[in-house]
Amino acid sequence: MASLISCPHCGTRPKEEFFIRGDATPVRPALMAAEEVWHDYVHLRANPRGRIREHWQHVAGCRRWLVVERDNFTHEVFGVTDAAKAGEGAR
Amino acid sequence: MTAYRLASGGLVDRSHGIRFTFDGATLTGHAGDTLASALLANDTLLVGRSFKYHRPRGIVTAGPSEPNGLVTIGSGVRRDPNTRATVAELYDGLEARSQNRWPSLAYDIGAVNNLMSRFLSAGFYYKTFMWPAAFWEKVYEPLIRRAAGLGRTDLPRDPDSYEKSWAHCDLLVVGSGPAGLSAALVAARSGLRVILAEQDFVFGGALLSEAMPIGGEPAYVFARRVVEELQSSPNVTLLPRTTVFGWYDDNVFGAVERVQKGVAVVDATKPVERMWRIVAKHAILATGAEERPLVFGGNDRPGILTASAVSTYANRFGVAAGESVTVFTNGASGYRTARDLAAQGVEIAALIDSRPASGDIAPAGVRLLRGGAIVDTKGRHRVRAVVADRGGFEELIACDAVAMSGGWSPVIHLACQRGGKPVWSEALQAFMAPDVGSGLVMAGAAAGHYLLSECFDDGARKASAVVEAVGRSVSGVEQPVIGEEADPSFTALWHVPGAKSKAFVDFQNDVHTKDLGLAVREGFGHVEHAKRYTTGGMATDQGKLGNINAIGILAGMRGVSPAEVGTTTFRPFYTPVSFGAMAGASIGEHAMPTRRSPLHGWAARNGAVFIDAGLWYRSSWFPKAVEKSWRESVDREVRNVRENAGLCDVSTLGKIEVFGPDAAEFLNRLYCNPVLKLPVGKARYGLMLREDGMVYDDGTVSRLGDEHFFVTTTTAMASGVLSHMEFAAQVLWPDLRVRFLSVSDQWAQMSIAGPKARTILQAVVEDDISNASFPFLAAREVRLKGNLKARLFRISFSGELAYELAVPAGHGEAVADALMRAGASHGICAYGVETLNVLRLEKGHVTHAELDGRVTPDDAGLGRMMGTSKADFIGKRLSTRFGLTAADRMQLVGLKSVEPEKDMRAGAHLLKDGVKPSTINDQGWVSSTCFSPTLGGHIALAFLKSGRERYGEKIVVWDQLRGVETFAEVCDPVFVDPENTKLMA
Amino acid sequence: MAYEYQAVHALDGTIGAIAERRANHLSVHRTTAVAMVLAVPGQTAEAAGILLSSGEFEARFSGPGEWLVLSEVHAPETLAAELSVRLGDFAFVVDQSHGRVVLTLSGPDAARILANGIAVDLHADAFPVGRAANVLCSHLSINLARTGNESFDLVVMRSFAEALVDDLKVMARSHDLSVDFATR
Repeated sequence: MASLISCPHCGTRPKEEFFIRGDATPVRPALMAAEEVWHDYVHLRANPRGRIREHWQHVAGCRRWLVVERDNFTHEVFGVTDAAKAGEGAR
Repeated sequence: MTAYRLASGGLVDRSHGIRFTFDGATLTGHAGDTLASALLANDTLLVGRSFKYHRPRGIVTAGPSEPNGLVTIGSGVRRDPNTRATVAELYDGLEARSQNRWPSLAYDIGAVNNLMSRFLSAGFYYKTFMWPAAFWEKVYEPLIRRAAGLGRTDLPRDPDSYEKSWAHCDLLVVGSGPAGLSAALVAARSGLRVILAEQDFVFGGALLSEAMPIGGEPAYVFARRVVEELQSSPNVTLLPRTTVFGWYDDNVFGAVERVQKGVAVVDATKPVERMWRIVAKHAILATGAEERPLVFGGNDRPGILTASAVSTYANRFGVAAGESVTVFTNGASGYRTARDLAAQGVEIAALIDSRPASGDIAPAGVRLLRGGAIVDTKGRHRVRAVVADRGGFEELIACDAVAMSGGWSPVIHLACQRGGKPVWSEALQAFMAPDVGSGLVMAGAAAGHYLLSECFDDGARKASAVVEAVGRSVSGVEQPVIGEEADPSFTALWHVPGAKSKAFVDFQNDVHTKDLGLAVREGFGHVEHAKRYTTGGMATDQGKLGNINAIGILAGMRGVSPAEVGTTTFRPFYTPVSFGAMAGASIGEHAMPTRRSPLHGWAARNGAVFIDAGLWYRSSWFPKAVEKSWRESVDREVRNVRENAGLCDVSTLGKIEVFGPDAAEFLNRLYCNPVLKLPVGKARYGLMLREDGMVYDDGTVSRLGDEHFFVTTTTAMASGVLSHMEFAAQVLWPDLRVRFLSVSDQWAQMSIAGPKARTILQAVVEDDISNASFPFLAAREVRLKGNLKARLFRISFSGELAYELAVPAGHGEAVADALMRAGASHGICAYGVETLNVLRLEKGHVTHAELDGRVTPDDAGLGRMMGTSKADFIGKRLSTRFGLTAADRMQLVGLKSVEPEKDMRAGAHLLKDGVKPSTINDQGWVSSTCFSPTLGGHIALAFLKSGRERYGEKIVVWDQLRGVETFAEVCDPVFVDPENTKLMA
Repeated sequence: MAYEYQAVHALDGTIGAIAERRANHLSVHRTTAVAMVLAVPGQTAEAAGILLSSGEFEARFSGPGEWLVLSEVHAPETLAAELSVRLGDFAFVVDQSHGRVVLTLSGPDAARILANGIAVDLHADAFPVGRAANVLCSHLSINLARTGNESFDLVVMRSFAEALVDDLKVMARSHDLSVDFATR
């Protein structure tokens, strides 16, 4: 895990200022999507090695939810984006 | 006498003595000594017993890699076990004790292990303490634990304080030898923010024991001048006594500064140790190189030191390791030590060079044995002679010290702590740091440059590159003039064949060559396996001294190159770090922050007993002088609220204000019950689910304006709910035009409950709050008499006629006081969270004791609230999934003890009468219990299979923890006023 | 019965009288008016323009579109009301005068003391005068602003004010620090 994260709003901060929720890739399904799709979204997570996207919240700073793209093996951080902005790209 | 203080020389202050004790004996040293140098000066060679065989051991090194000289320093509560004597700064009154011996260092019973050693081979524990399994816990573990470990720690609380600090710099230089000083100087002169960390209490590193003059002056004088210049630079921070122990992601370094570890009297106002977290744009590791011991028979006898340590003791501390020293070397270093000793007038018994030929020249008059080796040593608690072998001919050479040099290993640990594997250099016969990018580079001996001139050059060069990398221009590079230096090469000698006694590879863990052989033979030849099998490279030492020889020996046994064997994994910490330093100031009352309610002072004045509730300090109950137990107080408070009125601090609830055109829509999606049509001026109970359909939290939603809401959360989930809402707003539905803010701290909030609540409140509130104009669930801003704006909510947790009044936090105490005054004639009382709990339990209201994450709204009897016709809300889809709607789910019920005086406890399980307790027979569990003064008996809330169909049934409440069974009747969870007449009054 | 509601400061009764001001001083403000300004979604630029350009308000960055506004001249209610009027439809304004406690740490060691609990680089080049941010200080999230070379404002949630002052005293253990209410 990174020691420091560059919050797009607050600058470089220690990881202690953040809360990590987990995988940022699942997208909330439409209400009437199949139950299996909902089960996947709520319960199932892949655990890949390498490049991952995670939701981190800058709880001790701006309180924004961020998408941290990082490598869970090398610990390299590729980018940190505001989740609302990251979502725009995904939609 | 053997080891002794030389008549002159060294950087110790000979003008006055420092008294210290070792195992009770009073000895004298000087300022500038380490404990090790002072012990040597007092001819105290025997300092400890080895871990496994309890063999007598002495000092081997003059630095942080010391494997043997581990002592306990201090006494009573200030006692530091496993302190390396070689880095411990001597101070007046220092008390040191040897470890791992009983009854005394000289006569140690455990030494019988040495005689038993043929049965204590590597893997002994794994093979012996296997069967029977029943013995593991009762016999083997206590036995092993008693035998294991080195120093002992104490249980009393550490009286000292510790500190943690952040630091930031352009360049961190680790180590202040020639390369480190040179690098720091160039960076400092070029205007960079520099931190120079040195583990020693004096800056200078190898320069402090260097005999060669630099720029025409002694090396230590040169070092002192450089340090003075650095000290005077405002952009430089010097950290002496600071070990950089770890390299972490993003070039963050962990370092521990021993602020007051080498002092006679601890200044209680200052920390004894400071943990630094250093954020460095760049770092240069100028950590030097470690001299390798040689592995020969009897190489662990006290008086056998590394050659560089012998030189350091002579040059820096003015201490001779012996009167007659045998030097055993495989390279140039031994010759250098011989020169240092000769210059100090110390006799050299022989200079034994394992190489048949070399260009090195022995000092005049010294007997040189080329192509020789030591195969055994003689002596008991100290070396008395060595057995030298040359071409098959053995010779006994009398001496009282041995200086051994097995070549050099760059100190690369930090560079390998983030996954980079060391790289074997055939030319240097050593593992080098991998290329880990420009953030961290090695310089000087740590980069394999063993000549002084190279170290100066390399430090300056590496620093210049950093200066340019941060966009500045290099200035002030000047290299000192030094004389000609000898070729520093050596020829690897991993172990001396034909040892006549145990040849130790790892002194601290008592691993000798035969253990490694056994490991290879039994299939544990992989370097990581060999470590676990032999214990070599474990404990405080982590193989800093011995691993390289172990790798060389394994390579030889397996017939491969050391490159192929590789190293074990490098991890923080480089040297042990105290738990105190890691905890920093976060201990005792500073371990967690305390939150204080704005009504804390009011509660205290009214005699509250406080209780920790998360970070909060909440008023628990308000005892009267005559009351002897908390139950008496709580029973009175409950009765008083039900008969008259009470005032309770509920400021700790989470309070969030929500704004925006889409605020209603947003809340409608967050709560499972409908919010859209909530009228302005009204409050509503709100239930939040998780996406999996389980209840997450409950609270109230009040609409203060069309686009303005005020919601409350439970105290426990306040921060979680805020995060959850932020996730929903920012991640799930960023298109909704909504903004919200936690206003928990802005408002003091109090509950006024009881049949007389309105009368009391009306005395303070300007607005009309009659039942007609302020009915149940009304919520709006009101004005208090005396012109203070407040918010009033007619909501009830107790089941009584009740209100929650919110006023700006600072006015909370005064308003509460005014209400108590106004209520005095109506019998108002203050009540705490215990009474709050009884009141809500009697009314069948749930808390997180019930809403534990496995409960659906229907389980909790709140199924009617679900806005099933709503388009969507969090938890909607999965709340209808299989299993969540099953008829035999456990449902919330009330329980009444059949014998009213018999209590029940939360956590107890429910069983049908007469059945055996088992998982299959489990009918449910008890979530909350209390004594109900209103009903005059013990009651509980519980979850029972198909519970709502079973009112009237008698059931066993089975509490295995206390071994108690209570018989109870299942009933509606609303014990009090099920028709809500009191509530609506 | 007279109704007057004397305001109690979160730190009343927790700070002993001091004999003299030390080299470093932590000053507790009694009556600072504080408001949070939340820009209406989509109106952040407009709200920022009004709030920051006039120079009348001490607005400190809290998060994107969120500012903490401090005033020593306004009464709590008037600050929020005036901001509401000025910002109109561009922002929501929430009075936080009772919800926050404002402290000023000043002195030659101010940055060094804060480094014992704050990870942000407080070198004047990295965190210049006028910069503000929410940061973690020891265990607590605070709003930190540099108000001078050697002075910082710390704004903390009211319920944590006592804990923060306790933490600051520990952080300043190696330095000379006095704590008192501001005289103003």
